[in-house]
Amino acid sequence: MSSGTADVPGDLVEDYLDRLLVSLSGSPRQVRHTLAEVEAHLRDAVAEGIAAGLPEETAQAQALERIGPVHAVTGRAAVLTRPSSALLRRLTLTAALVGGAGFVAIGGAGLVGRLLQAIKGNLFMTAPWPHGTYTQAGCARWLAGYPGTRSCVTAMLADHAFDFLLQATAAGLLGLIALAAYLFLRRRWRDRATMTALPPGTAEALGTVMAGAAAVYFFGVVADIEMVQHGIGAGQPLSLAIAAAGAAAVFALALWHTVRAARLRSG
Amino acid sequence: MKAEKLKGHLDLLLLSVLSGGPGHGYEVITRLKVRSDGAFELPEGTVYPALHRLENAGLLASAWDVVAGRRRRIYHLTLRGEAALAEQAQQWREFSGSMTRVIGASRARVNGSARLHPGLRPARLVAALAAGGRA
Repeated sequence: MSSGTADVPGDLVEDYLDRLLVSLSGSPRQVRHTLAEVEAHLRDAVAEGIAAGLPEETAQAQALERIGPVHAVTGRAAVLTRPSSALLRRLTLTAALVGGAGFVAIGGAGLVGRLLQAIKGNLFMTAPWPHGTYTQAGCARWLAGYPGTRSCVTAMLADHAFDFLLQATAAGLLGLIALAAYLFLRRRWRDRATMTALPPGTAEALGTVMAGAAAVYFFGVVADIEMVQHGIGAGQPLSLAIAAAGAAAVFALALWHTVRAARLRSG
Repeated sequence: MKAEKLKGHLDLLLLSVLSGGPGHGYEVITRLKVRSDGAFELPEGTVYPALHRLENAGLLASAWDVVAGRRRRIYHLTLRGEAALAEQAQQWREFSGSMTRVIGASRARVNGSARLHPGLRPARLVAALAAGGRA
């Protein structure tokens, strides 16, 4: 039976006690006492299983099944017992992760856009404004910015495509800063109240839903542009749709890992 | 028996089990299972918040001791706990007696009705109705 204090990967009882520790509320003494009491209980139950001829891992899983989920021991729903400051910290972490990943995905759309621009040209990336909606001064500005272009419309397309790529790159950098902030804050806020203020996988689920919805929306825009404008200007929404779909896939994979790990921990 | 059904009676069950002598959490759960012939199934973890609540209410007291090589929290009934147990046990007996009487009376009626049905064949029922209800 594993009773050491070192981190033992795959030790179900140790994992359960870790989760119990970060979920218990009360004075430090109450927390210590309850933890010691439940540990003695689990060790007894595992010893009983082993004595009955079960392998240790099965005996551990059986002991955890018998004792029930962590909130059965704490006696109250975990989320309701968290102080609001812990919830705010956890929400900040969630926003930093989801927002940061979202902005990085927009940066990724910039890279996809650059590729599409190279393959299919500026007319695929952005639709020209209709005649009469821009001034001579605007035309002169675009031509000055892109002296190699031969017409006002070509210069306008190059300018608008460049604007999209520039903004996407800026968003990507902002996303990286947000993700760095997330990693920094997560290291600072590793207290039990913050860690359990929201159910595990909340940020991943939120990211999956938001990125998935964005992907569906932008693919819809692409389909609309294909039908109405014969693909002229479809490059921008297509870049965003591909990036959003990628982000949704990454979030979904992270969610699957989180849920699977939680299930394994709970036996 | 499902855990939900036991929830309202858990305090009485724990006090009752501990009236047999002091014990730690795992021991209390084991005694509960043995005394109920395994009928009371509940997540074992739910016993701890109940034990702590009873201790906070002054019905139980606890002390740490080393038993079989492990440090354990041993619970025992206080005087207030003994009084509470006597009162709750009495209330339960009255409630249980009333329930038994009500359920017993219902069952007797159901059984009585069931015995009447075989005699009520269609032909006899029609004849009885025609005769003005004299079956």
